[in-house]
Amino acid sequence: MKKAKSLTRQMLLASTLAVVSWSGAVQAEDAPGMFRSEFLKGNLGWPEVTAKARAEGTVNFYYWGGSDIINLWIDQVATPALAAEGVTLNPVRITSTKDTVDVVIAELAAGRREEAGSVDLVWVNGENFFSLKQQNALWGAFADRLPNSVNFEWDESDPRSLLNLRDFGVETGLQEMPWSGEQYVCSVNRAHVPVDQTPATFAQLKTYLEANPGKFTYVKPPHYLGNTFVQSVLYAHNPDGNGAEPYQKNFDELGSAELARLMEPGIEYLKSLEPLLLGGAAGNPRYPENSDELDNLFLNSEVHFDCKFGVFANHNGLITGTYPEQAEEMIFPVGNMIKNKNYLTVPLNSPHPAAALVAINYFSSVDAQASKLQAAGMPVGLDLWRLNDEEVAEVVAAAPPHYGITQQELDDNIAPDTNASLVDVIEATWLAVIERKDNKPLADIVAQVSGELNN
Amino acid sequence: MKRTASPAFMQNLRDVLEVTPLLVVLLGLFGGALLLGLLQSFGYAPWFGINEFPTTRYFERLWLSSDFWFSLGLTLYYGFAATLIGLVISVPLSIALSKRFKGSRLFSALIRLPLMVPYTVGIALALVMLGNGGLLSRISAGLGLIDDPSQFVQILKTHGGCGIILVYVWKQVPFMTLNLSAVLARAGDDTVEAAMVLGANSRQIFWRVTLPQIMPGIVSASLICFAFNIGAFEAPLILGGGYPDTLPVLAWRYFQDSNYAFQLQGMAVVVSLALVSGLFLAAYLQGYRRYERARGRV
Repeated sequence: MKKAKSLTRQMLLASTLAVVSWSGAVQAEDAPGMFRSEFLKGNLGWPEVTAKARAEGTVNFYYWGGSDIINLWIDQVATPALAAEGVTLNPVRITSTKDTVDVVIAELAAGRREEAGSVDLVWVNGENFFSLKQQNALWGAFADRLPNSVNFEWDESDPRSLLNLRDFGVETGLQEMPWSGEQYVCSVNRAHVPVDQTPATFAQLKTYLEANPGKFTYVKPPHYLGNTFVQSVLYAHNPDGNGAEPYQKNFDELGSAELARLMEPGIEYLKSLEPLLLGGAAGNPRYPENSDELDNLFLNSEVHFDCKFGVFANHNGLITGTYPEQAEEMIFPVGNMIKNKNYLTVPLNSPHPAAALVAINYFSSVDAQASKLQAAGMPVGLDLWRLNDEEVAEVVAAAPPHYGITQQELDDNIAPDTNASLVDVIEATWLAVIERKDNKPLADIVAQVSGELNN
Repeated sequence: MKRTASPAFMQNLRDVLEVTPLLVVLLGLFGGALLLGLLQSFGYAPWFGINEFPTTRYFERLWLSSDFWFSLGLTLYYGFAATLIGLVISVPLSIALSKRFKGSRLFSALIRLPLMVPYTVGIALALVMLGNGGLLSRISAGLGLIDDPSQFVQILKTHGGCGIILVYVWKQVPFMTLNLSAVLARAGDDTVEAAMVLGANSRQIFWRVTLPQIMPGIVSASLICFAFNIGAFEAPLILGGGYPDTLPVLAWRYFQDSNYAFQLQGMAVVVSLALVSGLFLAAYLQGYRRYERARGRV
């Protein structure tokens, strides 16, 4: 009885203390959301941010953990470097960024707002960023306010700044910081394909497949790798001959009929390619679900080509043994090798926002970017013309080798990404025409799927 | 008049208290999720900025497409085929194992092994062994039977679903056998011996004595396996033939899409699947009850 009484007293005391400290916290300057509003108003200097970051102590970094060499770089280089700044990096390796977006949105729906969530930092781009933005789940415009923001082009009058300010055509609003710049590059297995037979255009690819049926496939849309392949097909078959240009507009600007007209030849090409794809001869063309599955097909010689985002994917595949030994890069499709950037962003309810900013600042430094390039084969997200000669030399020296092509050739064949509002319509059209074999006129299909998407 | 709580009332109260923890879990977690799923499938998702409740648009769009019915057919086919094949293997196996023979202990321990191995490992095994880049295809290519591994006969990734059914059967035969063995052990040998003494042959003993005895075990085991088979998505996703997918995979694809509007469509798929499986299971149990009633056991 006595014991129970003292226990009750202890609990009373504890709850009183909790209430007192809670009300104290509300009155104090670091009330949830205070740091955010003060930083975004420009009232906080960098020393104040780093001081708060050290007080917060930890940053929960959610990122796609499917690459061993990136994971190693995070553990062996980034974690100690951030520890030196007083921030413990807690890497949370995920299989799909969408899952993390779901977590953030579910938390916000449950009323866990500023500083009450669980995710501090996400590696993101394209549709996932668009979702976060659409759901008002982003922390704010920080990207040009960090010390290392000088490494990026933010001046809108310079067209080169578009890669930093537009993510799949969606305005980033400075709410995410470029981390890496990637390009859609295909590799070819030289054990099967001699140089003179290597396709450079989609027509040549078809010719090759007519002689070697079944030796090509692409990742199934709506996976972004599949979407990107389809986009490059559409660019190359643009009936007006101006490639990616009209695909930069958003859907409302372009209109469903015009989009259908632009897509028609490309979609026809994809239809005609189907019987020549892996398994297509038997009437069951096989589209891998993700890049791992495609890598396996490539490694097994089931296909002769492997297309994915990765300027150094060939090098990484060779050093990790996921590509066949005679894999080489190829320039394909000429002039339409889509390039984009991927980013780091902070969700609105990040529990350690200052630590997240310090981490992003570190990830944007020339040293971090160069060592990531060297160790993990991830191209830099920095804009080289913003760096001094010494820094440029550091980045150039860190770059892994190319196989069979040069960096200059890659740069000469860049095409921009498609506007995110069109990507949804294009992927839905692919699903209708290629997967469901819907043979209505394309204009009707595009009108129908865009109607379904918009309501 | 003085009122006292009757013993019957106290007993009732105790019964209610005893099932309360389970009820809380069932109603709170399962019922809550079910309700949320139902609401979403009828257009209620204000946390994504969507609120058209009540609309039947998502069900209409789904049920009016012929692909949905094909997907439903595939889902049921994998579920039925795997359960039936599993039963056909498990029933004789459990009867055989109920008798002592040399090495019977080791044998029954061996066949229980897959029980401890997760489904995903079974799926990976199927990929490694039977895939076109798998061991069998590489060995055939190495022996010169085929030119390269991709020419190997396609076992996985077809709508025939050999791989899916194989993994289900591999995993579920031990489970069914275990279930049936327990029922057999409880029934004992007396009735079988009596039938033998009365001159029944082995076929008659099986159909007239053993099978009715293990019927409850067959029903419960096949019910559990069938319900699992039509609801699972990993095996059909990895080993299936691609489009059109089974319903769980279709729902998963909708949930994976970065456009949140598709989540509601996915919920409509899940609700339809729950409806179908509920109907099937209810009909199955109804049929079983009728069978038992005919035998005078209920």
